[in-house]
Amino acid sequence: MKVSHMEITVNDQTYSVDVEPEMPLLWVLRDELGITGPKYGCGIAQCGACTVHVNGYAVRSCQLAVGDLGSSKVSTIEGLGTPDSLHVVQESWIEHQVAQCGYCQSGQIMQAASLLSTNPNPSDDQIDAAMSGNLCRCGTYPRIKAAVKSAAKKLQGS
Amino acid sequence: MKNLHTAIGLLVSVMSFGAIAADDNVQIKPPAAGSVSQQQGLLAWSRIFDVASHPRCANCHTGPSDRPMWSGPSYGKTRVHGMNIQAGKSRIGAETILCSTCHTNKSEDWDKANTVNHAAPRVAMSWQLAPEDAFWFGRTTQQICEQLRNPETNGNRDALEIAEHLNHDLILHWAWAPGGNREPAPYSLQEHVNDILAWGVAGTPCPED
Ligand code: FES
Ligand code: FES
Repeated sequence: MKVSHMEITVNDQTYSVDVEPEMPLLWVLRDELGITGPKYGCGIAQCGACTVHVNGYAVRSCQLAVGDLGSSKVSTIEGLGTPDSLHVVQESWIEHQVAQCGYCQSGQIMQAASLLSTNPNPSDDQIDAAMSGNLCRCGTYPRIKAAVKSAAKKLQGS
Repeated sequence: MKNLHTAIGLLVSVMSFGAIAADDNVQIKPPAAGSVSQQQGLLAWSRIFDVASHPRCANCHTGPSDRPMWSGPSYGKTRVHGMNIQAGKSRIGAETILCSTCHTNKSEDWDKANTVNHAAPRVAMSWQLAPEDAFWFGRTTQQICEQLRNPETNGNRDALEIAEHLNHDLILHWAWAPGGNREPAPYSLQEHVNDILAWGVAGTPCPED
């Protein structure tokens, strides 16, 4: 495929890139734009480390060709909250001190935020199902689950 | 719960515009009325069953179970989709994790989209499980036949409309071009469409009629 000029919107900023349309979004984010929150783990949708939001829904950015984005808006962990105004999932992550090495964590947080945006009060089973595609080699799963539950509680206002 | 259902309803309606563009190469030409005998219709049905019961199709037609199945050279035998995937009532995973999180939407067909072994296959529409009524996984030829000819369980379609549905829903085309080391569904999409049309003209016979 030939290099194309395209504009993509990431974290409410528009960027111009000259890349092959079939380049995975993850490569564009990390190597072209220097947005390194999304991580490369497997490249084949098996680990979740590269998870970002496209129009608010979790997507494995290693699986999405940048040419297929169209006018969709991308958000990464860098755009989820700010240090002064954290996203509720980020707040809960800090309260539960979820991260260990941290490599998987941006993907975990983006997946959890996507779940809570469509299902603000998920059951334990629904949390397990939603988060099972995000692997953590450090085994932080119990803390991830606890943090997702606290974030859901905050969203319920209790 | 009400919020969840509203969100899922919205999501399904937002995502459902993804079913686009028929394959121009597929011809929908039913045989003339009365030109297909019941015996020929049953032969056509046996080939339709070969397709419906093939893993490329049956693995996502799991009926009351919302768990897609995996099978093929990499798995040895058929097993439940990894990662605890549950497509839910929405059939697109809206309650937990959308199928399209990994099975991302392509804007159009391009070569090599599905050539990477073990990567999630992609088509130019939202990945999803078939509706609950379209229950094929592990079912007999008679059970699938009766489901497919009954408008109450086939989306209120006659055979011609089933053929048109096959032409329009691009996720179904993937079964014949699955990429990677996946085995495609038998025959070709055109042959399958021809069989559906012939079966319809024969009066949608089933083996135990
Ligand atoms: S790097 Fe995308 S899922 Fe592993
Ligand atoms: S915190 Fe180390 S891989 Fe998850």
